[in-house]
Amino acid sequence: MKTVDIVYNTKKKKGETQYGKLFNDGKVRKRREWRGLKDTLYDFSRWLYLWGVVIDVTMSKGAIKGLFRYRWMSNYLAVPHAMDKFTMGMRDETLRITHTAMDFVVKDVAKCIKETLRGDRRCGNDVEFSNKCVLSDENAMTVFMMGFPMLKAILREIPTMFSANIMTQQSTMHYLDVAQRFGIPGDVCPMPEAEAGISIEDDFSVLGKCAVQVNTTCDGSLMGNGLIAKRLEREYGIPTFQLAAPMRHESPDVLDYAAEDMKACIKWVEEQMGVKWDWDAYFECIKRVNATTRMRWSWLEVNSTPYPQFYGAVFSLFNDTDYMGNCGRSADFPPIEKKINDLIIKGYKNKTMQAPEYRHRCIVWGVQPQYCIDQLYWMINCWGVIPLTDMLSMVVDKQFCEENKPENYEQAYKDMAYLNMNMIMRNKTHGGYEVLVDELWEHVERMNADMVMMWEHMSCKALNGLHGQFEDQARERGIHIVWVNHDLCDPRVFTRQQIRDEFSTYMRTVMREEPLDPTIEFLPDEHAW
Amino acid sequence: MKKLAKIPLIALGGATGTFAVLFTVYFFNLDEKFMAYCVDPILQWWYDNKVEHKYYV
Repeated sequence: MKTVDIVYNTKKKKGETQYGKLFNDGKVRKRREWRGLKDTLYDFSRWLYLWGVVIDVTMSKGAIKGLFRYRWMSNYLAVPHAMDKFTMGMRDETLRITHTAMDFVVKDVAKCIKETLRGDRRCGNDVEFSNKCVLSDENAMTVFMMGFPMLKAILREIPTMFSANIMTQQSTMHYLDVAQRFGIPGDVCPMPEAEAGISIEDDFSVLGKCAVQVNTTCDGSLMGNGLIAKRLEREYGIPTFQLAAPMRHESPDVLDYAAEDMKACIKWVEEQMGVKWDWDAYFECIKRVNATTRMRWSWLEVNSTPYPQFYGAVFSLFNDTDYMGNCGRSADFPPIEKKINDLIIKGYKNKTMQAPEYRHRCIVWGVQPQYCIDQLYWMINCWGVIPLTDMLSMVVDKQFCEENKPENYEQAYKDMAYLNMNMIMRNKTHGGYEVLVDELWEHVERMNADMVMMWEHMSCKALNGLHGQFEDQARERGIHIVWVNHDLCDPRVFTRQQIRDEFSTYMRTVMREEPLDPTIEFLPDEHAW
Repeated sequence: MKKLAKIPLIALGGATGTFAVLFTVYFFNLDEKFMAYCVDPILQWWYDNKVEHKYYV
Protein backbone atom coordinates (compact mmCIF):
# COMPACT_ATOMS: atom_id res chain seq x y z
CA MET A 1 0.00 0.00 0.00
CA LYS A 2 1.16 3.53 -0.67
CA THR A 3 2.32 5.46 2.39
CA VAL A 4 3.19 9.10 2.99
CA ASP A 5 5.44 10.65 5.63
CA ILE A 6 3.68 11.95 8.71
CA VAL A 7 4.00 15.72 8.96
CA TYR A 8 4.32 17.02 12.51
CA ASN A 9 3.17 20.43 13.64
CA THR A 10 6.22 22.13 15.11
CA LYS A 11 4.18 24.94 16.67
CA LYS A 12 2.40 24.48 19.97
CA LYS A 13 -1.32 25.05 19.47
CA LYS A 14 -2.77 27.95 21.44
CA GLY A 15 -6.02 27.46 23.29
CA GLU A 16 -8.08 24.29 23.39
CA THR A 17 -6.87 21.08 21.83
CA GLN A 18 -9.78 18.78 22.67
CA TYR A 19 -13.07 19.84 21.21
CA GLY A 20 -15.50 17.27 22.61
CA LYS A 21 -16.17 19.47 25.61
CA LEU A 22 -17.82 22.05 23.31
CA PHE A 23 -20.67 19.66 22.51
CA ASN A 24 -23.67 18.35 24.35
CA ASP A 25 -26.81 16.80 22.89
CA GLY A 26 -28.45 20.17 22.36
CA LYS A 27 -29.29 21.97 19.14
CA VAL A 28 -26.19 24.16 19.35
CA ARG A 29 -22.80 23.95 21.04
CA LYS A 30 -22.30 24.52 24.76
CA ARG A 31 -19.90 27.34 24.08
CA ARG A 32 -17.42 28.59 21.53
CA GLU A 33 -13.80 27.57 21.26
CA TRP A 34 -10.97 29.31 23.08
CA ARG A 35 -8.24 29.76 20.45
CA GLY A 36 -5.75 31.84 22.42
CA LEU A 37 -6.30 35.57 22.89
CA LYS A 38 -5.42 36.83 19.40
CA ASP A 39 -7.39 34.24 17.40
CA THR A 40 -10.37 34.30 19.76
CA LEU A 41 -10.62 38.08 19.41
CA TYR A 42 -10.33 37.71 15.63
CA ASP A 43 -13.12 35.10 15.60
CA PHE A 44 -15.19 37.38 17.84
CA SER A 45 -14.78 40.24 15.35
CA ARG A 46 -16.00 37.99 12.54
CA TRP A 47 -18.96 36.91 14.67
CA LEU A 48 -19.92 40.57 15.02
CA TYR A 49 -19.60 40.97 11.25
CA LEU A 50 -21.84 37.95 10.58
CA TRP A 51 -24.54 39.26 12.88
CA GLY A 52 -24.22 42.58 11.06
CA VAL A 53 -24.95 40.78 7.78
CA VAL A 54 -27.95 38.98 9.30
CA ILE A 55 -29.36 42.23 10.73
CA ASP A 56 -28.82 43.98 7.40
CA VAL A 57 -30.87 41.27 5.63
CA THR A 58 -33.59 41.43 8.31
CA MET A 59 -33.98 45.17 7.75
CA SER A 60 -34.13 44.94 3.95
CA LYS A 61 -37.29 45.30 1.90
CA GLY A 62 -39.62 42.34 2.28
CA ALA A 63 -37.41 40.42 4.70
CA ILE A 64 -39.71 40.38 7.74
CA LYS A 65 -42.65 39.30 5.58
CA GLY A 66 -40.39 36.65 4.07
CA LEU A 67 -39.31 35.40 7.51
CA PHE A 68 -42.93 34.81 8.50
CA ARG A 69 -43.99 33.43 5.13
CA TYR A 70 -41.20 31.00 4.19
CA ARG A 71 -40.11 28.12 6.40
CA TRP A 72 -36.61 28.03 4.83
CA MET A 73 -35.88 31.53 6.16
CA SER A 74 -35.74 30.22 9.74
CA ASN A 75 -32.54 28.30 8.92
CA TYR A 76 -30.65 31.59 8.73
CA LEU A 77 -30.95 32.01 12.49
CA ALA A 78 -28.08 29.51 12.48
CA VAL A 79 -25.52 31.49 10.45
CA PRO A 80 -22.94 31.81 13.28
CA HIS A 81 -23.54 28.14 14.17
CA ALA A 82 -22.59 27.17 10.62
CA MET A 83 -19.38 29.16 10.86
CA ASP A 84 -18.46 27.44 14.12
CA LYS A 85 -18.73 24.10 12.28
CA PHE A 86 -16.26 25.18 9.65
CA THR A 87 -13.63 26.68 11.96
CA MET A 88 -13.17 23.92 14.53
CA GLY A 89 -9.53 23.69 15.61
CA MET A 90 -8.34 26.50 13.35
CA ARG A 91 -5.72 29.06 14.22
CA ASP A 92 -3.56 31.63 12.46
CA GLU A 93 -3.73 31.72 8.66
CA THR A 94 -6.11 28.77 8.23
CA LEU A 95 -8.66 30.52 10.47
CA ARG A 96 -8.32 33.73 8.48
CA ILE A 97 -8.50 31.95 5.13
CA THR A 98 -11.70 30.15 6.16
CA HIS A 99 -13.29 33.31 7.52
CA THR A 100 -12.33 35.41 4.50
CA ALA A 101 -13.81 32.86 2.12
CA MET A 102 -16.87 31.83 4.11
CA ASP A 103 -17.82 35.31 5.34
CA PHE A 104 -17.83 36.37 1.71
CA VAL A 105 -20.01 33.39 0.74
CA VAL A 106 -22.41 34.39 3.55
CA LYS A 107 -22.48 37.97 2.23
CA ASP A 108 -23.17 36.70 -1.29
CA VAL A 109 -26.03 34.50 -0.10
CA ALA A 110 -27.37 37.41 1.96
CA LYS A 111 -27.40 39.53 -1.19
CA CYS A 112 -29.28 36.75 -3.00
CA ILE A 113 -31.88 36.60 -0.20
CA LYS A 114 -32.30 40.38 -0.16
CA GLU A 115 -32.81 40.55 -3.91
CA THR A 116 -35.15 37.56 -3.93
CA LEU A 117 -37.40 38.99 -1.21
CA ARG A 118 -37.23 42.48 -2.66
CA GLY A 119 -38.72 41.30 -5.95
CA ASP A 120 -41.01 38.67 -4.46
CA ARG A 121 -44.69 39.41 -5.20
CA ARG A 122 -45.63 38.29 -1.68
CA CYS A 123 -42.96 40.27 0.18
CA GLY A 124 -41.16 43.33 -1.19
CA ASN A 125 -43.15 43.38 -4.45
CA ASP A 126 -40.70 45.74 -6.13
CA VAL A 127 -42.14 45.30 -9.64
CA GLU A 128 -39.55 47.45 -11.40
CA PHE A 129 -36.75 45.38 -9.85
CA SER A 130 -38.56 42.10 -10.48
CA ASN A 131 -38.87 42.92 -14.17
CA LYS A 132 -35.08 42.98 -14.41
CA CYS A 133 -34.75 39.50 -12.89
CA VAL A 134 -34.11 36.20 -14.66
CA LEU A 135 -34.65 33.13 -12.50
CA SER A 136 -32.02 30.43 -12.72
CA ASP A 137 -31.45 26.99 -11.21
CA GLU A 138 -28.94 26.77 -8.38
CA ASN A 139 -27.00 24.13 -10.31
CA ALA A 140 -26.55 26.31 -13.37
CA MET A 141 -23.25 27.83 -14.34
CA THR A 142 -24.80 31.24 -14.96
CA VAL A 143 -22.77 31.74 -18.13
CA PHE A 144 -25.85 32.78 -20.13
CA MET A 145 -26.08 35.90 -17.94
CA MET A 146 -22.50 37.05 -18.49
CA GLY A 147 -23.49 39.42 -21.29
CA PHE A 148 -26.51 40.90 -19.50
CA PRO A 149 -25.02 43.32 -16.93
CA MET A 150 -28.32 45.23 -16.89
CA LEU A 151 -30.21 42.17 -15.60
CA LYS A 152 -30.14 40.22 -12.33
CA ALA A 153 -29.75 36.46 -12.15
CA ILE A 154 -31.79 35.17 -9.20
CA LEU A 155 -30.89 31.64 -8.12
CA ARG A 156 -33.99 30.97 -6.01
CA GLU A 157 -32.97 27.50 -4.98
CA ILE A 158 -29.78 28.64 -3.28
CA PRO A 159 -31.31 30.33 -0.24
CA THR A 160 -34.28 27.95 -0.12
CA MET A 161 -32.50 24.62 -0.40
CA PHE A 162 -28.74 24.73 -0.82
CA SER A 163 -27.41 27.25 1.67
CA ALA A 164 -30.28 26.61 4.11
CA ASN A 165 -28.87 23.07 4.40
CA ILE A 166 -25.44 24.44 5.19
CA MET A 167 -26.96 26.16 8.20
CA THR A 168 -29.02 23.32 9.66
CA GLN A 169 -29.19 19.65 8.79
CA GLN A 170 -33.00 19.52 9.17
CA SER A 171 -33.72 22.23 6.59
CA THR A 172 -34.99 19.93 3.85
CA MET A 173 -36.85 17.31 5.87
CA HIS A 174 -40.24 19.04 5.75
CA TYR A 175 -40.01 19.60 1.99
CA LEU A 176 -38.93 16.00 1.34
CA ASP A 177 -42.01 14.84 3.23
CA VAL A 178 -44.22 17.14 1.16
CA ALA A 179 -42.78 15.78 -2.11
CA GLN A 180 -43.23 12.20 -0.98
CA ARG A 181 -46.77 12.88 0.15
CA PHE A 182 -47.52 13.89 -3.42
CA GLY A 183 -46.12 10.69 -4.87
CA ILE A 184 -42.45 11.37 -5.57
CA PRO A 185 -40.47 8.32 -4.43
CA GLY A 186 -38.06 8.68 -1.53
CA ASP A 187 -35.10 7.00 -3.21
CA VAL A 188 -34.29 9.86 -5.58
CA CYS A 189 -31.64 12.46 -4.87
CA PRO A 190 -32.94 14.60 -1.99
CA MET A 191 -31.70 17.81 -3.60
CA PRO A 192 -34.12 18.04 -6.54
CA GLU A 193 -36.75 16.26 -4.46
CA ALA A 194 -36.59 18.99 -1.80
CA GLU A 195 -36.79 21.63 -4.53
CA ALA A 196 -39.88 19.91 -5.91
CA GLY A 197 -41.35 19.86 -2.39
CA ILE A 198 -40.68 23.60 -1.99
CA SER A 199 -42.51 24.26 -5.26
CA ILE A 200 -45.43 21.97 -4.40
CA GLU A 201 -45.90 23.79 -1.10
CA ASP A 202 -45.56 27.18 -2.83
CA ASP A 203 -42.60 28.16 -0.67
CA PHE A 204 -40.52 29.60 -3.52
CA SER A 205 -40.44 33.37 -3.87
CA VAL A 206 -42.32 34.52 -6.95
CA LEU A 207 -40.47 37.14 -8.97
CA GLY A 208 -38.80 37.68 -12.30
CA LYS A 209 -39.93 37.99 -15.87
CA CYS A 210 -38.61 34.68 -17.13
CA ALA A 211 -36.73 31.61 -15.97
CA VAL A 212 -33.93 29.47 -17.42
CA GLN A 213 -33.85 25.88 -16.20
CA VAL A 214 -31.01 23.45 -16.70
CA ASN A 215 -30.57 19.72 -16.67
CA THR A 216 -27.51 20.04 -14.49
CA THR A 217 -26.46 18.39 -12.32
CA CYS A 218 -28.30 15.39 -13.64
CA ASP A 219 -31.66 13.94 -14.63
CA GLY A 220 -32.81 14.53 -11.07
CA SER A 221 -33.02 18.21 -12.02
CA LEU A 222 -35.30 17.33 -14.94
CA MET A 223 -37.71 15.71 -12.52
CA GLY A 224 -37.89 18.70 -10.23
CA ASN A 225 -37.76 21.27 -13.01
CA GLY A 226 -40.85 19.86 -14.66
CA LEU A 227 -42.92 20.50 -11.54
CA ILE A 228 -41.35 23.89 -10.92
CA ALA A 229 -41.77 25.05 -14.54
CA LYS A 230 -45.42 23.97 -14.56
CA ARG A 231 -46.15 26.14 -11.55
CA LEU A 232 -44.10 29.07 -12.82
CA GLU A 233 -45.78 29.10 -16.22
CA ARG A 234 -49.37 28.14 -15.47
CA GLU A 235 -49.91 29.82 -12.14
CA TYR A 236 -47.51 32.74 -12.18
CA GLY A 237 -47.17 33.44 -15.90
CA ILE A 238 -43.38 33.26 -15.87
CA PRO A 239 -42.14 31.54 -19.06
CA THR A 240 -39.27 29.07 -18.81
CA PHE A 241 -36.49 28.03 -21.19
CA GLN A 242 -34.98 24.56 -20.89
CA LEU A 243 -31.21 24.72 -21.41
CA ALA A 244 -30.41 21.05 -21.86
CA ALA A 245 -26.67 20.39 -21.81
CA PRO A 246 -25.41 17.14 -23.37
CA MET A 247 -24.57 14.44 -20.84
CA ARG A 248 -21.55 12.97 -22.66
CA HIS A 249 -19.75 16.29 -22.55
CA GLU A 250 -16.37 14.71 -23.36
CA SER A 251 -17.53 13.70 -26.85
CA PRO A 252 -16.12 16.18 -29.36
CA ASP A 253 -19.28 16.22 -31.48
CA VAL A 254 -21.58 17.61 -28.76
CA LEU A 255 -19.95 21.03 -28.38
CA ASP A 256 -21.45 22.49 -31.56
CA TYR A 257 -24.93 21.34 -30.55
CA ALA A 258 -24.48 22.75 -27.03
CA ALA A 259 -23.25 26.08 -28.45
CA GLU A 260 -26.39 26.34 -30.63
CA ASP A 261 -28.54 25.69 -27.57
CA MET A 262 -26.66 28.41 -25.66
CA LYS A 263 -27.26 30.87 -28.55
CA ALA A 264 -30.96 30.02 -28.48
CA CYS A 265 -31.07 30.60 -24.71
CA ILE A 266 -29.38 33.99 -24.98
CA LYS A 267 -31.69 35.01 -27.84
CA TRP A 268 -34.69 33.95 -25.79
CA VAL A 269 -33.58 36.01 -22.77
CA GLU A 270 -33.08 39.02 -25.07
CA GLU A 271 -36.65 38.63 -26.40
CA GLN A 272 -38.23 38.12 -22.97
CA MET A 273 -36.38 40.94 -21.26
CA GLY A 274 -36.17 43.42 -24.15
CA VAL A 275 -32.39 43.87 -23.91
CA LYS A 276 -29.34 43.08 -26.04
CA TRP A 277 -26.38 40.87 -25.21
CA ASP A 278 -23.30 42.93 -24.36
CA TRP A 279 -20.06 41.37 -25.65
CA ASP A 280 -17.90 43.85 -23.73
CA ALA A 281 -19.46 42.67 -20.49
CA TYR A 282 -19.09 39.01 -21.51
CA PHE A 283 -15.35 39.29 -22.20
CA GLU A 284 -14.82 41.13 -18.88
CA CYS A 285 -16.54 38.24 -17.12
CA ILE A 286 -14.60 35.50 -18.92
CA LYS A 287 -11.31 37.20 -18.01
CA ARG A 288 -12.35 36.94 -14.35
CA VAL A 289 -13.26 33.25 -14.81
CA ASN A 290 -9.80 32.61 -16.28
CA ALA A 291 -8.13 34.45 -13.40
CA THR A 292 -10.19 32.46 -10.90
CA THR A 293 -9.11 29.19 -12.54
CA ARG A 294 -5.41 30.18 -12.41
CA MET A 295 -5.79 31.18 -8.77
CA ARG A 296 -7.55 27.95 -7.82
CA TRP A 297 -4.88 25.81 -9.46
CA SER A 298 -2.18 27.69 -7.57
CA TRP A 299 -4.06 26.92 -4.32
CA LEU A 300 -4.19 23.27 -5.33
CA GLU A 301 -0.43 23.35 -5.89
CA VAL A 302 0.03 24.51 -2.30
CA ASN A 303 -2.27 21.68 -1.22
CA SER A 304 0.07 19.28 -3.03
CA THR A 305 2.84 20.23 -0.59
CA PRO A 306 3.16 18.95 3.01
CA TYR A 307 1.42 22.15 4.22
CA PRO A 308 -2.00 22.51 2.55
CA GLN A 309 -3.73 25.74 3.52
CA PHE A 310 -7.17 26.06 1.91
CA TYR A 311 -9.21 22.87 2.01
CA GLY A 312 -12.41 21.32 3.24
CA ALA A 313 -16.05 22.32 2.88
CA VAL A 314 -15.26 26.04 2.70
CA PHE A 315 -12.81 25.54 -0.20
CA SER A 316 -15.56 23.67 -2.03
CA LEU A 317 -18.25 26.22 -1.15
CA PHE A 318 -16.13 29.15 -2.25
CA ASN A 319 -15.47 27.48 -5.61
CA ASP A 320 -19.19 26.72 -5.99
CA THR A 321 -20.11 30.34 -5.32
CA ASP A 322 -17.36 31.71 -7.55
CA TYR A 323 -18.04 29.53 -10.59
CA MET A 324 -21.78 28.92 -10.44
CA GLY A 325 -23.55 31.79 -8.77
CA ASN A 326 -21.01 34.37 -9.89
CA CYS A 327 -19.36 32.98 -13.05
CA GLY A 328 -17.19 36.06 -13.43
CA ARG A 329 -20.10 38.50 -13.27
CA SER A 330 -19.12 40.27 -10.05
CA ALA A 331 -16.04 42.44 -9.60
CA ASP A 332 -16.23 41.78 -5.83
CA PHE A 333 -14.65 38.34 -6.13
CA PRO A 334 -11.11 39.11 -7.39
CA PRO A 335 -10.06 41.16 -4.31
CA ILE A 336 -11.29 38.34 -2.04
CA GLU A 337 -9.39 35.77 -4.11
CA LYS A 338 -6.26 37.90 -3.80
CA LYS A 339 -6.67 38.23 -0.03
CA ILE A 340 -7.11 34.46 0.29
CA ASN A 341 -4.07 33.92 -1.93
CA ASP A 342 -1.89 36.20 0.22
CA LEU A 343 -2.97 34.33 3.36
CA ILE A 344 -2.26 30.98 1.70
CA ILE A 345 1.27 32.04 0.77
CA LYS A 346 1.85 33.35 4.28
CA GLY A 347 0.45 30.18 5.85
CA TYR A 348 2.57 27.98 3.61
CA LYS A 349 5.74 29.91 4.48
CA ASN A 350 4.89 29.65 8.19
CA LYS A 351 4.06 25.92 7.82
CA THR A 352 0.71 26.50 9.51
CA MET A 353 -1.17 23.30 10.30
CA GLN A 354 -4.60 22.63 11.78
CA ALA A 355 -3.77 19.42 13.67
CA PRO A 356 -0.77 18.16 15.69
CA GLU A 357 0.08 15.87 12.80
CA TYR A 358 -1.06 15.01 9.31
CA ARG A 359 -0.92 11.23 9.09
CA HIS A 360 -2.65 10.76 5.77
CA ARG A 361 -3.27 12.79 2.65
CA CYS A 362 -6.74 12.27 1.29
CA ILE A 363 -8.60 13.08 -1.91
CA VAL A 364 -12.33 13.43 -1.25
CA TRP A 365 -14.36 12.07 -4.14
CA GLY A 366 -17.99 11.42 -4.95
CA VAL A 367 -21.17 13.40 -4.35
CA GLN A 368 -20.54 15.16 -1.08
CA PRO A 369 -22.75 16.16 1.84
CA GLN A 370 -19.95 17.94 3.59
CA TYR A 371 -21.85 21.18 3.81
CA CYS A 372 -24.43 20.15 6.35
CA ILE A 373 -21.95 18.13 8.40
CA ASP A 374 -18.45 19.18 9.37
CA GLN A 375 -16.92 15.89 8.34
CA LEU A 376 -13.76 17.13 6.62
CA TYR A 377 -12.60 19.41 9.43
CA TRP A 378 -13.54 16.67 11.88
CA MET A 379 -11.32 14.23 9.92
CA ILE A 380 -8.34 16.54 10.39
CA ASN A 381 -8.88 17.13 14.10
CA CYS A 382 -9.90 13.58 15.02
CA TRP A 383 -7.71 11.42 12.78
CA GLY A 384 -5.04 13.70 11.28
CA VAL A 385 -6.33 13.04 7.76
CA ILE A 386 -5.96 16.15 5.62
CA PRO A 387 -8.41 16.50 2.69
CA LEU A 388 -6.28 17.94 -0.12
CA THR A 389 -9.15 18.60 -2.47
CA ASP A 390 -12.60 17.31 -3.30
CA MET A 391 -14.38 16.35 -6.50
CA LEU A 392 -16.55 19.44 -6.56
CA SER A 393 -13.54 21.75 -6.46
CA MET A 394 -12.03 20.15 -9.58
CA VAL A 395 -13.95 22.38 -11.95
CA VAL A 396 -12.55 23.58 -15.26
CA ASP A 397 -8.81 23.67 -15.83
CA LYS A 398 -8.67 25.38 -19.19
CA GLN A 399 -8.43 29.03 -20.14
CA PHE A 400 -11.09 30.55 -22.36
CA CYS A 401 -10.85 33.05 -25.19
CA GLU A 402 -10.58 36.57 -23.78
CA GLU A 403 -10.09 38.75 -26.85
CA ASN A 404 -13.11 40.86 -27.64
CA LYS A 405 -13.29 40.53 -31.43
CA PRO A 406 -16.27 39.57 -33.61
CA GLU A 407 -14.28 36.64 -35.08
CA ASN A 408 -14.11 35.21 -31.53
CA TYR A 409 -17.86 35.26 -30.92
CA GLU A 410 -18.43 31.70 -32.22
CA GLN A 411 -15.66 30.44 -29.96
CA ALA A 412 -17.24 32.37 -27.08
CA TYR A 413 -20.53 30.47 -27.55
CA LYS A 414 -18.58 27.21 -27.47
CA ASP A 415 -16.75 28.33 -24.33
CA MET A 416 -20.05 29.18 -22.64
CA ALA A 417 -21.46 25.82 -23.70
CA TYR A 418 -18.35 24.08 -22.36
CA LEU A 419 -18.69 25.83 -18.99
CA ASN A 420 -22.37 24.94 -18.83
CA MET A 421 -21.76 21.26 -19.60
CA ASN A 422 -18.84 21.09 -17.19
CA MET A 423 -20.72 22.51 -14.30
CA ILE A 424 -19.42 21.64 -10.83
CA MET A 425 -19.80 17.95 -9.97
CA ARG A 426 -21.51 17.13 -13.26
CA ASN A 427 -18.17 17.45 -15.04
CA LYS A 428 -17.20 14.28 -13.15
CA THR A 429 -20.48 12.41 -12.58
CA HIS A 430 -21.34 12.60 -16.28
CA GLY A 431 -19.14 12.28 -19.30
CA GLY A 432 -17.89 8.75 -18.87
CA TYR A 433 -15.61 6.88 -16.51
CA GLU A 434 -12.53 8.73 -17.77
CA VAL A 435 -13.58 11.87 -15.91
CA LEU A 436 -14.94 10.09 -12.86
CA VAL A 437 -12.48 7.24 -12.33
CA ASP A 438 -9.29 7.90 -14.32
CA GLU A 439 -9.02 11.53 -13.27
CA LEU A 440 -9.25 10.59 -9.61
CA TRP A 441 -5.99 8.63 -9.89
CA GLU A 442 -4.33 11.51 -11.72
CA HIS A 443 -5.13 13.78 -8.77
CA VAL A 444 -3.98 11.13 -6.29
CA GLU A 445 -0.66 10.95 -8.10
CA ARG A 446 -0.19 14.69 -8.55
CA MET A 447 -1.14 15.61 -4.99
CA ASN A 448 0.74 12.70 -3.41
CA ALA A 449 -2.32 11.26 -1.67
CA ASP A 450 -2.33 7.86 0.03
CA MET A 451 -6.05 7.74 0.69
CA VAL A 452 -9.37 8.43 -1.02
CA MET A 453 -12.56 9.08 0.90
CA MET A 454 -15.40 8.02 -1.39
CA TRP A 455 -18.71 9.57 -0.59
CA GLU A 456 -21.30 6.98 -1.55
CA HIS A 457 -24.56 8.86 -2.04
CA MET A 458 -27.09 6.08 -1.83
CA SER A 459 -29.59 7.89 -4.09
CA CYS A 460 -27.07 8.79 -6.80
CA LYS A 461 -27.39 6.27 -9.59
CA ALA A 462 -24.63 7.99 -11.59
CA LEU A 463 -21.87 6.92 -9.23
CA ASN A 464 -23.15 3.76 -7.63
CA GLY A 465 -22.67 1.79 -10.84
CA LEU A 466 -18.92 2.38 -10.76
CA HIS A 467 -18.36 1.19 -7.20
CA GLY A 468 -16.61 -1.98 -8.36
CA GLN A 469 -14.27 -0.09 -10.72
CA PHE A 470 -13.15 2.19 -7.91
CA GLU A 471 -12.45 -0.80 -5.64
CA ASP A 472 -10.48 -2.71 -8.28
CA GLN A 473 -8.40 0.25 -9.32
CA ALA A 474 -7.65 1.37 -5.75
CA ARG A 475 -6.43 -2.14 -5.03
CA GLU A 476 -4.15 -2.11 -8.11
CA ARG A 477 -2.64 1.19 -7.04
CA GLY A 478 -2.32 0.39 -3.33
CA ILE A 479 -4.49 3.34 -2.31
CA HIS A 480 -6.72 3.15 0.73
CA ILE A 481 -10.31 3.80 -0.27
CA VAL A 482 -12.71 4.59 2.55
CA TRP A 483 -16.37 4.28 1.59
CA VAL A 484 -18.68 6.59 3.49
CA ASN A 485 -22.42 6.33 2.90
CA HIS A 486 -24.89 9.19 3.09
CA ASP A 487 -28.12 10.50 1.66
CA LEU A 488 -27.01 14.07 1.01
CA CYS A 489 -29.38 16.47 2.73
CA ASP A 490 -31.65 13.88 4.34
CA PRO A 491 -30.07 13.26 7.77
CA ARG A 492 -32.66 10.66 8.74
CA VAL A 493 -31.20 7.97 6.48
CA PHE A 494 -27.60 8.30 7.68
CA THR A 495 -27.01 10.45 10.71
CA ARG A 496 -23.86 12.49 11.16
CA GLN A 497 -22.53 10.02 13.73
CA GLN A 498 -23.15 7.06 11.43
CA ILE A 499 -21.19 8.86 8.74
CA ARG A 500 -18.34 9.56 11.14
CA ASP A 501 -18.46 5.97 12.42
CA GLU A 502 -17.88 4.60 8.91
CA PHE A 503 -14.69 6.60 8.64
CA SER A 504 -13.59 5.83 12.20
CA THR A 505 -14.20 2.10 11.73
CA TYR A 506 -11.81 2.07 8.77
CA MET A 507 -9.18 4.02 10.69
CA ARG A 508 -9.36 1.66 13.66
CA THR A 509 -9.73 -1.69 11.92
CA VAL A 510 -7.68 -1.27 8.74
CA MET A 511 -5.23 1.49 9.58
CA ARG A 512 -4.94 0.32 13.24
CA GLU A 513 -4.72 3.91 14.45
CA GLU A 514 -5.97 5.75 17.50
CA PRO A 515 -7.63 9.18 17.18
CA LEU A 516 -5.65 12.35 17.77
CA ASP A 517 -8.63 13.77 19.66
CA PRO A 518 -10.74 10.92 21.05
CA THR A 519 -13.22 13.38 22.60
CA ILE A 520 -14.73 14.05 19.18
CA GLU A 521 -14.83 10.49 17.87
CA PHE A 522 -18.43 10.31 19.14
CA LEU A 523 -20.42 13.53 19.10
CA PRO A 524 -23.99 13.80 20.41
CA ASP A 525 -25.22 15.93 17.49
CA GLU A 526 -28.09 13.90 16.11
CA HIS A 527 -30.57 16.60 17.09
CA ALA A 528 -28.27 19.53 16.50
CA TRP A 529 -28.82 22.13 13.86
CA MET B 1 -14.36 71.41 31.95
CA LYS B 2 -14.76 68.71 34.56
CA LYS B 3 -17.80 67.38 32.72
CA LEU B 4 -15.87 67.41 29.43
CA ALA B 5 -13.02 65.51 31.04
CA LYS B 6 -15.44 62.80 32.17
CA ILE B 7 -16.77 62.14 28.66
CA PRO B 8 -13.83 59.98 27.51
CA LEU B 9 -14.01 58.01 30.75
CA ILE B 10 -17.74 57.44 30.32
CA ALA B 11 -17.16 56.43 26.69
CA LEU B 12 -14.39 54.04 27.73
CA GLY B 13 -16.57 52.56 30.44
CA GLY B 14 -19.45 52.15 28.04
CA ALA B 15 -17.25 50.54 25.41
CA THR B 16 -15.74 48.17 27.96
CA GLY B 17 -19.15 47.21 29.25
CA THR B 18 -20.48 46.65 25.73
CA PHE B 19 -17.45 44.54 24.87
CA ALA B 20 -17.87 42.48 28.03
CA VAL B 21 -21.53 41.79 27.35
CA LEU B 22 -21.01 40.97 23.68
CA PHE B 23 -17.99 38.77 24.37
CA THR B 24 -19.94 36.86 27.02
CA VAL B 25 -22.78 36.30 24.55
CA TYR B 26 -20.25 35.18 21.94
CA PHE B 27 -18.18 32.87 24.12
CA PHE B 28 -21.07 31.10 25.83
CA ASN B 29 -22.97 30.87 22.53
CA LEU B 30 -25.94 32.67 24.09
CA ASP B 31 -26.96 34.11 20.71
CA GLU B 32 -27.49 30.70 19.11
CA LYS B 33 -29.02 29.22 22.25
CA PHE B 34 -31.58 32.03 22.20
CA MET B 35 -32.26 31.50 18.51
CA ALA B 36 -32.49 27.71 18.82
CA TYR B 37 -34.60 27.48 21.95
CA CYS B 38 -36.69 30.67 21.87
CA VAL B 39 -37.02 32.07 18.38
CA ASP B 40 -36.99 28.94 16.22
CA PRO B 41 -39.82 27.09 18.05
CA ILE B 42 -42.05 30.14 17.66
CA LEU B 43 -41.29 30.36 13.96
CA GLN B 44 -41.92 26.63 13.44
CA TRP B 45 -45.26 26.93 15.21
CA TRP B 46 -46.11 29.92 13.01
CA TYR B 47 -45.28 28.05 9.79
CA ASP B 48 -47.31 25.01 10.88
CA ASN B 49 -50.39 26.94 11.96
CA LYS B 50 -50.57 30.37 10.44
CA VAL B 51 -49.25 30.09 6.89
CA GLU B 52 -51.67 28.89 4.26
CA HIS B 53 -50.24 26.90 1.40
CA LYS B 54 -51.60 26.24 -2.06
CA TYR B 55 -50.37 22.76 -2.92
CA TYR B 56 -49.80 22.29 -6.63
CA VAL B 57 -48.24 19.42 -8.51
